[in-house]
Amino acid sequence: MPLKHIQWITGFITVLLIFPIVIGLVGTLLPAFHYFPPLGEYGFSLSPWRNVFSQGEFYAGLKLTLITGIGAPVLALWLALSLLAWGYQRPFFKKIEALLSPILAIPHAAIAIGLLFLLSPSGWIVRLFSPWLTGFERPPNWITAQDPYGISLIFALIIKEMPYLLFVMLAAMKSIQARECMQACQALGYSRFTLWRKVLIPQLYPIIRLPIFIVVAFSLTVVDLALVIGPNTPSTLAVTLFRWFNDPDLAMRYTASAGAIFLMITIFLVLGGWELAHKVFSAMTRCERSNGKRHGVSDILLGTGVILGVFTLLSAFIALILLPFWSLAKRWRFPDALPSQWTWDNIERATPLLMELSANTLIIALFSTVIACGISLLMLEIKRHSITSSATPSQQHAFDWLIYVPILLPQIGFLFGLHVLLIYLNLNGDLCAIIALHLMYVLPYVYLTLKAPYLAYNEDYLLQANRLNHRPWRHYVSVKIAMLKPALFTAFAMGFSVSIAQYLPTLIAGEGRYSTLTTEAVAQAASGDRKQVGSMALLQAFFPVMVFWLAQIIPSRWTAWRLTIKKRLKKALTKKDKTC
Amino acid sequence: MKKSFVAASIAATLVLSTSSMLAHSAQTSSTSEKWKNTLQEAKGQTVYFNAWGGADNINDYIQWAADRIKDDYDVTLKQVKLTDTSDAVNRVLAEKAAGKNTKGSIDLIWLNGENFRAMKDNHLLFGPFSQTLPSYTKYVDENARQSLTQDFGTPVDGMESPWGMAQVIFMHDTATLSNPPKSIPELLIYAKAHPGRITYPEPPQFLGSTFLKQALYELSPHRKALSQPVDSVDFDKITATMWAYLDELHAVAWRSGESFPSSSEEMMRLLDDQEIDVALSFDISAASVQIDKGNLPDTVRSYVFSGGTIGNTHFLAIPYNSGVKAGAQVVANFLLSPEAQIKKQTPTVWGDLSVLSYAKLSKDDQAKFDALPRGIATLNIEELGKTLPEPHASWVGALEKEWRQRYAQ
Repeated sequence: MPLKHIQWITGFITVLLIFPIVIGLVGTLLPAFHYFPPLGEYGFSLSPWRNVFSQGEFYAGLKLTLITGIGAPVLALWLALSLLAWGYQRPFFKKIEALLSPILAIPHAAIAIGLLFLLSPSGWIVRLFSPWLTGFERPPNWITAQDPYGISLIFALIIKEMPYLLFVMLAAMKSIQARECMQACQALGYSRFTLWRKVLIPQLYPIIRLPIFIVVAFSLTVVDLALVIGPNTPSTLAVTLFRWFNDPDLAMRYTASAGAIFLMITIFLVLGGWELAHKVFSAMTRCERSNGKRHGVSDILLGTGVILGVFTLLSAFIALILLPFWSLAKRWRFPDALPSQWTWDNIERATPLLMELSANTLIIALFSTVIACGISLLMLEIKRHSITSSATPSQQHAFDWLIYVPILLPQIGFLFGLHVLLIYLNLNGDLCAIIALHLMYVLPYVYLTLKAPYLAYNEDYLLQANRLNHRPWRHYVSVKIAMLKPALFTAFAMGFSVSIAQYLPTLIAGEGRYSTLTTEAVAQAASGDRKQVGSMALLQAFFPVMVFWLAQIIPSRWTAWRLTIKKRLKKALTKKDKTC
Repeated sequence: MKKSFVAASIAATLVLSTSSMLAHSAQTSSTSEKWKNTLQEAKGQTVYFNAWGGADNINDYIQWAADRIKDDYDVTLKQVKLTDTSDAVNRVLAEKAAGKNTKGSIDLIWLNGENFRAMKDNHLLFGPFSQTLPSYTKYVDENARQSLTQDFGTPVDGMESPWGMAQVIFMHDTATLSNPPKSIPELLIYAKAHPGRITYPEPPQFLGSTFLKQALYELSPHRKALSQPVDSVDFDKITATMWAYLDELHAVAWRSGESFPSSSEEMMRLLDDQEIDVALSFDISAASVQIDKGNLPDTVRSYVFSGGTIGNTHFLAIPYNSGVKAGAQVVANFLLSPEAQIKKQTPTVWGDLSVLSYAKLSKDDQAKFDALPRGIATLNIEELGKTLPEPHASWVGALEKEWRQRYAQ
């Protein structure tokens, strides 16, 4: 990109990234120290912190948060790496890759509701075997979901996070010389898993470290998923905070703000610990990696990971496939494996809403994602510029860290502060405000998805084109962007599905005046009616799945289509000329 | 979720300023004059009505009202569907924080209890307005029920307009349980005989908190203290028997008391799945509506405890910074009219009990109320028996806090 005034643009984007974050933080930090003018509190005090630390539920919730928030990403990473090592560049793996996008696209709450139905004592698995095998005329009194240890929550988190990590890894594989490495190592007699462990994973990890951080922060702060499938006595810290923020006793807001600040500190401590653990781990395994052994214990570890990974993907699919059944069910009672009465009513009831909701949803998602793509390209170009022009190229640019802040902060405490800003700007309840808040969450995902392929792009093509004919902007679009099409489409699809799934930002910026498929689905989920949730989840998943599908098929066919259209147009025009 | 409810409406600033000028004229003519002005001012306004949006039938009812109001008063009613009413309370608060004291985003809000108290105490409400609504003066009898003037012990003072009445009911499947437990102690006896089949929603979910209040009411030897603010009584002494009861109940409850359902809707799902034997609801027609939708078997019936169950009134209120207070009052007034209340009490529509005084209605309207069909699992007024009053609003927070302290760690 032939950029001018790079410093100005850098400054502008930095302000754009920092401003809402600072406002949001201040809006949470001040009440955490008991300063909150709307409730008539102008004095600072530490009482909110004393309140937080005196709540027994806080400690129990924190423990649970740490277990699920660290356990889930560790397991998700393990399973994703195992699946990648097992299937990379094998023909059948393409099919698994194709299955990832629906899981990525489907909103968390829908997956959680599907899983709950699969796993609970009155769920589908038990129904399938009852009463003929188990003898259960009525569901057993087991705790197979919402268990106090958070196992079902960890499972749900893995289902959502493993596909994302796998997706990021697949994109990152393009920037390491994987094929050559594999061929060389296999020629030297290393088994597939061992070469991955010793050679490829150590190369891959630094590239995907930041997406892993997103996953860790997500696991520590997720609310909607934890509400549906997490334990509730106690609940995770994020859910507890959510409840405190929503307490009708407005004084609880102080305690909630202090808790939100504490949760943020926790996130940074966990990420620091994670980083440290990685350092220690790679130092400890250094000798082992270069000892020349062609097989190792880790082969078993990765092998087990594959089995569990496939099992996890399968469960996610069954859970998702069951949702449409609900949307067609009239009566479906334990222990029936399938509905006993079917109906179109559920879908019919949802249909009239579809037009308005879809229009809102699409406008918000398209605008925010297109803007995010534009800003990401700009940021990456600046980053590329700083790498190539600097005498001491540093891999880390300020953007790489800034971009994380919105997704690392717990939404609930942060968005309240932002809402006050929107009201000051008189942008509340405005479509622009919703798009802006969505942008805050879409941008990081687009940027991170695009980053590796964009920076790995071989700039020589562009230079060569410009040497032949110096038209930098035109070549930037027709050569560089054209070659980066697959990555760009993928980033678009990722951003699009992130936008579709946003609940709190839509609600807070739009003040409920703009309903999207997601706000409607969450409102419906409040009723716990699986039939409605099934119908809504189906509609909600439709667009992202479509976009992911298009992102896979368009780039490879684009040129052919473009040429055909051009040819036809030319033919039509020449024909016209002739007839004239 | 359906934490808060109901009512509100009148009184624009215009009305207030004209009222002093009209002070000399007769009381009735001045109020009707004021109302005329309100109607005039409301024309063309758009009212954003923030209401819990988790039930299709309720949303459909609000849409019906919106169509009627558009036709009759040229006021556009738009429902903003909430998952939790406190979201709306928070929004008004954020607007106050930002100094947005006019043209707020919420014009009418469905609430009661704690949310009402929070808004009233923090001066987030417009009013008083409800007692001057034509429908209110004509059809509401304030003496009929304490909950019309005391919302969880907080004086209503005209700051919210009544919309409907709710009462705790229990549901059981007659095919599996023919003789359900009819009091809090009987419930424990049943749970002991059938481990894992009894539970209640998790506090602070409003129905869960209500279950605690019901248990407290039946078990505590100090009932009178419940109407006092909780600070002024010995909380530990009054609640001791209830905690002892819950300890015993949890040991034999659904999922051994390690997990609780999150709402009435989830309880009905569990009842349908046969995981549990008794479900609770605050909506007296819940069972009939769910049977009709295919979500419960048609053998399910409602019942109430023999000693009575907790009931309350839900309301509509207008935030202090609404830009269309006239329109909001017109909506509240319509929703309080016999036509709207009859429609609302129709079991297939909503089945929510009317707040109007039967005696004050015209013969025609009385006949219409009499002719309302009842769902197969809906109890009539006599069967609903005695309504127990809600304790003072301050009890809710205290009970929830103590419950979480004991059972959520």
